[in-house]
Amino acid sequence: MSSQQVFSSKLQEIIKKELTRYETKRSSILPILHAIQDECGWVQEKHIEALETAHGLNRVQVKEVLTFYKAYYQKKPRKHPIQFCDNIVCCMMGAKDVMEKIEGHIQRLEEKHGENAPFEMIGVPCLGVCDQAPAMLVNKDRHHKVTVDNVDQILSKYAPLT
Amino acid sequence: MGNTTDKVKILTAFEGIPNSRALATYTANGGYEGLKKALKMQPAQIIEEVKQSGLRGRGGAGFPTGLKWSFVPQNLPGPRYLICNNDEGEPGTFKDRYIAELSPHMIVEGMVIAAKAIGACKGYIYTRYEFFEEIDWLETAIKEAYAAGFLGKNIQGSGFDFDLDHYTGAGAYICGEETGLISSLEGKKGQPKLKPPFPAVSGYLGRPTVVNNTETFAAVPWIMTKGAAAYKAIGTEKSTGTKLFSIAGAINKPGVYELPLGYPFEKFLNEDCGGMLPGRTLKACIPGGASAPVLTPEELKGLTMDYEAIAAKGSMLGSGAVMIIDDRQSMVELMKVIADFYHHESCGQCTPCREGTGWLANIMSGIWDKNGAENDVDRMWTVAKQMGGRTICALSDAAAMPTMAITKKFGDEIREYIRRGTSA
Ligand SMILES: Cc1cc2nc3c(=O)[nH]c(=O)nc-3n(C[C@H](O)[C@H](O)[C@H](O)COP(=O)(O)O)c2cc1C
Ligand code: SF4
Ligand code: FES
Repeated sequence: MSSQQVFSSKLQEIIKKELTRYETKRSSILPILHAIQDECGWVQEKHIEALETAHGLNRVQVKEVLTFYKAYYQKKPRKHPIQFCDNIVCCMMGAKDVMEKIEGHIQRLEEKHGENAPFEMIGVPCLGVCDQAPAMLVNKDRHHKVTVDNVDQILSKYAPLT
Repeated sequence: MGNTTDKVKILTAFEGIPNSRALATYTANGGYEGLKKALKMQPAQIIEEVKQSGLRGRGGAGFPTGLKWSFVPQNLPGPRYLICNNDEGEPGTFKDRYIAELSPHMIVEGMVIAAKAIGACKGYIYTRYEFFEEIDWLETAIKEAYAAGFLGKNIQGSGFDFDLDHYTGAGAYICGEETGLISSLEGKKGQPKLKPPFPAVSGYLGRPTVVNNTETFAAVPWIMTKGAAAYKAIGTEKSTGTKLFSIAGAINKPGVYELPLGYPFEKFLNEDCGGMLPGRTLKACIPGGASAPVLTPEELKGLTMDYEAIAAKGSMLGSGAVMIIDDRQSMVELMKVIADFYHHESCGQCTPCREGTGWLANIMSGIWDKNGAENDVDRMWTVAKQMGGRTICALSDAAAMPTMAITKKFGDEIREYIRRGTSA
């Protein structure tokens, strides 16, 4: 597939710029995957193919990056992925209880909407905001001092919890 | 999140100043004066000044910065590189982020000075991807610095050229390890490389490369402006200057504090941080990030916050991440969290690390799920003892050390939990 069929013109521009931005072409793999994910939500097989055929990025090398780094989605995430810090300080400050509550919401929403449920959650290592623990990311928004009392209010801004 | 104290402010000089990230604010308050001075000096003179200051790496290992810079071969033709390690992944650490929030130009200025010292033509700031805003601030600072002639060709008319770019990580703790970071910057899996050769000789693309922590670079402009002697006058004889401490847990005022090294721990906790939250008592403290062995209240008595004093207690100052553990926290849970973290983040290249972190996480899960056996504590010791000193990078040691310390110091609590299936 050609680049035009797979990438928007904006994305093609970014890819072209990134390809020559660093000392080697290979260094552009991480930034390009970030850009693809920012626009398309996740990195698909057709993207990898087009990066190889149209832009000369070796697919083995691209796959290696894609699978090693946890920032990249290899399958379509739900609308609002939640990354909850389950590391030392957040754990001390009550993260487990909040995560259980969110799990409960997700289960309920799955019963109703199946895979179209708006949220999914993974535990992630320290987000580097431990003085604001417990902390989580919803999409790219960082939320601080998330508690069992305020979590519903935060999440319902993204999608109804019922 | 910063906390103004009456102490000398080097890294937090821009606390409380409006619009502090802007170049205009930075230069109006003495910014880039250190660089102007350095541009008139010989590289060897800059290195000597930094050596004299006693500055040590703030990323965790505390290696003398000037000495590291002096390892770069000066006569080798071809490019040399400079990298700012802004990955800030060590659990409990949130200090480098604060510098980017207050004064990103301090990082840029420190890097240009370092570049001049080692003769680097190109540098990168490598930031973990979750720091979305911070990345924006850093990229803006780089753009401003280019426009004002602090980066690029013929910097401030000195004839010195240096380019700086930003690179964003993708969610891997191991990329904080300097050779893992270099692999990542090369567009590969973030796997650490065997040393030697050290990056100073063969780093990014096989070229001489210096990697320093963000806070290390941020201290350099002040040292250039005020001189090594002024820096050395702060702190202790071997731990000179100030350091950022990020402190969190069940205390009244968690946050980032700039303290002269050698500052009394108890004063820090009880006065600066307002002590424990009401009704909580101090059970233990992890003084320098997840890998630093835990200290008991007894060991914390009279402790000072410097490399030597903390090492003397069998732990380490590390990244300056102080985690306060209160009486309500189960040490079994804490150990499980730490074991899971290292297991999850091991890159898997070395058998002792891959297998060892797996075993520790497994045993801890068993204990936590109330399927522990009486000899599990001994089994963990046996595993942990085999993980040290035999691997490509220090993650394996970093995983083993806290396990050994907690099992040693809180063994009774763990055994009791195993027996009764609950934390006392
Ligand atoms: C597993 C592991 C993770 C590390 N993570 C970081 C980090 O996030 N930031 C950092 O500056 N140094 C980190 N380090 C230390 C770096 O390898 C390196 O020593 C440091 O960046 C050197 O800079 P400095 O001399 O200024 O401290 C880590 C080391 C290990 C073994
Ligand atoms: S010690 Fe662990 S993290 Fe470090 S290189 Fe070996 S396997 Fe990877
Ligand atoms: S432990 Fe959760 S943000 Fe650091």
